[in-house]
Amino acid sequence: MSVDIRGPARYLWWLARQLKGRVLLGAMFGSLWFASLALTPYLLSQAIDRGLGPRRPVALLAWTAAVLLIGLSSAGLGIMRHRSMTKLRLAAALRTADAVLRHAIRLGAALPRRVTSGEVVTIGIADVWTIGRAMNVVGVGVASVLAYAVVAVLLFRTSPLLAVVVLAGVPVLALAVGPLLVRVQAAGARYRRRQGALAAQLVDVLTGLRILNGLGGKEGHLARYRSSSAGLRDLGYRVGRASSWVGALGEGLPGVFLAVVIWLAARQAAAGELTTGELIAVYGYTAMLVIPVNVMIFCGFDVTRGLVAARHVVAFLRLPPDEVAGRPAPDRPAVLHDPVSGVSAEPGRLTALASARPADAAAVLERLGRYGPTDATWGGVRLDSIARDEVRSRILVAEHEADLFADPLRDVVAGRDTPEQERFRAAIEAAAARDVGEPDHPVEWGGRNLSGGQRQRVRLARALYQQAEMLLAAEPTSAVDAHTEAAIAGRLRAARAARGTVVATTSPALLDRADVVHYLVDGRVAATGSHRDLLRTAPGYVRLVARVFGEDPA
Amino acid sequence: MSAVLPIADRRLVVRAARRLLAADRRTVVLMLVLNALAALAGLGGPWLLGRIIDTVTGGHGAGRVDRLALAVLACAVAQMLLSRYALTVGYRFGERTAARIREEFLRRSLDLPAAVAERVPAGDLTARGTTDVDAVATTLRDSLPVVFISVVQMLLIVVAVVVVSPPLGVAGLLGFSGIWFVTRWYLRRARAAYLREGAANSVMADELAATTTGARTIEAFDLRERRLTRGHAAIAETRRTRLATLGLRSVFFPLVEMSYVLPVVLVLLIGGRLYFAGSVTLGTVAAALLYLRQLVGPLDNIMLTIEQLQSSAASFARVEGLAAVPADGTRAIRAPDGDRIEVRAVRYAYESGPDVLHDVDLTVRPGERLAIVGLSGAGKSTLARLIAGVDRPDAGSVTVGGVPIADLPPDELRRQVVLVTQEHHVFRESLRENLMVAAPDDVLRRALKSVGADWADDLDRDLGEDPPSGGEAQQLALARVVLADPHTVILDEATALLDPTAARSAERALAAVLHDRTVIAIAHRLETSHDADRVAVMDGGRIIELGSHDELLEADGPYAALWRTWHGT
Repeated sequence: MSVDIRGPARYLWWLARQLKGRVLLGAMFGSLWFASLALTPYLLSQAIDRGLGPRRPVALLAWTAAVLLIGLSSAGLGIMRHRSMTKLRLAAALRTADAVLRHAIRLGAALPRRVTSGEVVTIGIADVWTIGRAMNVVGVGVASVLAYAVVAVLLFRTSPLLAVVVLAGVPVLALAVGPLLVRVQAAGARYRRRQGALAAQLVDVLTGLRILNGLGGKEGHLARYRSSSAGLRDLGYRVGRASSWVGALGEGLPGVFLAVVIWLAARQAAAGELTTGELIAVYGYTAMLVIPVNVMIFCGFDVTRGLVAARHVVAFLRLPPDEVAGRPAPDRPAVLHDPVSGVSAEPGRLTALASARPADAAAVLERLGRYGPTDATWGGVRLDSIARDEVRSRILVAEHEADLFADPLRDVVAGRDTPEQERFRAAIEAAAARDVGEPDHPVEWGGRNLSGGQRQRVRLARALYQQAEMLLAAEPTSAVDAHTEAAIAGRLRAARAARGTVVATTSPALLDRADVVHYLVDGRVAATGSHRDLLRTAPGYVRLVARVFGEDPA
Repeated sequence: MSAVLPIADRRLVVRAARRLLAADRRTVVLMLVLNALAALAGLGGPWLLGRIIDTVTGGHGAGRVDRLALAVLACAVAQMLLSRYALTVGYRFGERTAARIREEFLRRSLDLPAAVAERVPAGDLTARGTTDVDAVATTLRDSLPVVFISVVQMLLIVVAVVVVSPPLGVAGLLGFSGIWFVTRWYLRRARAAYLREGAANSVMADELAATTTGARTIEAFDLRERRLTRGHAAIAETRRTRLATLGLRSVFFPLVEMSYVLPVVLVLLIGGRLYFAGSVTLGTVAAALLYLRQLVGPLDNIMLTIEQLQSSAASFARVEGLAAVPADGTRAIRAPDGDRIEVRAVRYAYESGPDVLHDVDLTVRPGERLAIVGLSGAGKSTLARLIAGVDRPDAGSVTVGGVPIADLPPDELRRQVVLVTQEHHVFRESLRENLMVAAPDDVLRRALKSVGADWADDLDRDLGEDPPSGGEAQQLALARVVLADPHTVILDEATALLDPTAARSAERALAAVLHDRTVIAIAHRLETSHDADRVAVMDGGRIIELGSHDELLEADGPYAALWRTWHGT
């Protein structure tokens, strides 16, 4: 059965139905646990009334054994309730995470255009667990309603008057504390936002620690942090004042109510309408009833928040993927042409794009690679009319900022394929990336444990490993030093022999190796030729590729 | 090149905790008194209920029952109000202490010696400053006041039950004693298990984030299956770790709950014997029973937070670990005599690794432009960091005007040498604050103008809200250098990450900054070395060639070979 994304409530209902086995278990253990809690005061009262009071040792022993038994089963039922509810929440959260993950992958390149990654990360960090907690209502929520009903019956049998007072009074108490709780939670959310901002300020200063060590100015930052910290502290005082009322009333009001109930019960006992044991039982029931009522209140909160979280998830799951179907690709390597810029790339040749604005060259690669709207053609056929996956499998766009995923180096480079040792070695060699580490060196997400130059060379090695029919690479050597750049320029041709390659670059070392160089001005081809031809004929090109330290060349 | 920040040992943690308590002594005392009074009021209820039972069984009149019941009500109201004040004071204490801890943390971080600050893993310091500080603060604010009130309540209940009836009290307490062992068992395992759970959570969030931000890469390289497999592995690990902590709770919770029923059973049995023997009243047995059941509330409060208490104690140890970093020892006693920088017989190794610099000698002549070239890993950046005073050599010396550079206090250091790297951090502050010096606005504006930052007319612009582009950030970094006004500037691939146009304008700006200064440039493009007065070629931690561009070409050594490959001639 497919995910119901017609609305947040429907989504939560769908989850509950998917997990109905766990829901039933949770509700069952929850109810039994509450029943055992309700039974304890009753058994205690019987032990006093039938054993202790009339001085009957055997009866006392028997009822005490019953108290022990119900205590032990209550512990067992309590943990079974906790286990089944935890598993229910976990399953709901992880099913949601799974659905989001699958959809993110289905969206592919369309995703960044439709949603910011921050939104998806929030789903992963917070929303899935909130949705998990919303499942409480169908498990223990149902159980607490049952418990309330059972206590009602037990109390009614003891004293109808007390039953009415207690059953009406407890929800009134809950309703009295409820709104206060809402206010405290709103204030708490405000506090957490401020706390987050303060943490961001701290991270900001710590990230700039190196500069502060070199250039000074620490006192100013410390003073500003202290004043923000004091601001948070004062806000915390205000939150504390409100939440101390919640804490005190939450525990205290039931106590006050209990006192009133005891008063009534004691008068009835004094009048002989209640036994001593019953008096204690009333005390026990009233104290116990606070638990299911609290559960109901919190279930209310959980559902409210769960609906908000589910709205985020549903909105994401509704994002439509791009159209991927289309006609078949040319059956052999063919010329790529971008009419907007006038750039052509022949199969089997090394083409270079030199542009003063790297964004222009990147846009050309983007169009040639069938990303976004494009008029580019492949063997004379419009690229956007060709099936997406066929284009992807034969034309590879290696972006400047392409992502690196956490994996051993070998797998990062091999990408989707099972790593082949020889091919891996060749790709690493061609990208001059031997210094990155052994094949099993763990690369962190985004290459965080690599230097800028290493990240770039790993990206290049990965692109070369694919041996795509046509490789479109943006600025593959901009962050590496001159020695390494020279080495890569020398090896790139051999690595891409007989395959088509387009590089966007301003490095003379790379440009000099290209079969043909397109010099772009304002996104259009201004001159085409070999590096050396252009050095002779295009003055702007000379200025672009031969930058000199500290000043413009004369 | 990483060092691990220390974690405070038990002695340091205890000392730090005492210091925090002492800093707020009056509040702590007030908190104790209020909590004790609230707990005392709470004890009134069950005792009075016992009296009511005795009154009822004794057949006394309704008037006495009314008076006793009114007293129960008064106790309940008093307890509620006292708890409220106790909690207010507790929250204030927690809030104030949390603020003290985080402010102290930043102060200590800023005081870390430069070499330590450079080498701690980037995430460690920020993780301590955010996750750990927040964990401690949350515990102080939300849990500690409740735990405090619970502990005081428990103590008083225990006293009360023993006062009401010593034998029943002792029997009841014996019944609870199992909790001690169960809790020890649990705590020994809980922390690691919850840490694993937290780690798995963040891996799952990371996987989702990576899959989202890397969506284009995934499509380009067809990594869909792979990402799905990895994502599912992360989800499975999250499930596994959550079930592991659930397993621990499945032992801990029921055992604790079973311990709650034992005292009741013991009191019923022993109380029965005593009552049958006539040594206690029925009301006394009832009161003891109710007291023991009252213990369950505070005990539950403690049990629910005990794992959090334990893990925030560990967080506190990490936060306090900064205090255990030895301060940067020596400080220069005299000002440098002149601008000459000399590197003599310098060796350097990161931690216990192999030497990355071997016997490097270099004299930087005041006013010259020196380019350092070499392969990645040749030791260029390490040498730059030693000259910038960020690190100390293991052997040999790096001096300016005869004084070891690393001994200079920061304010003196930045007038001598400033290192400019490609990582230029922009603080989330106003442009003025970002220039790092307190100077009149026209001085700041002049500095910005000199590096070509035409965009920077509004000094109050909030760069956190309205961040500058890469090129603008680079200009900002250079303006800082102009304002620091050092005689020597070290450029470590300062423009390598910029696109050609931005790099060009940055280099134009650099020309303005570098005018009349000594420049040491770690070369990225070889044109840099072409224009330098001298070129130092590094390989394997040594300077293997030193001379002008033309001299080195003539010598026909490694530099000449590189120049030729790079120029394809």
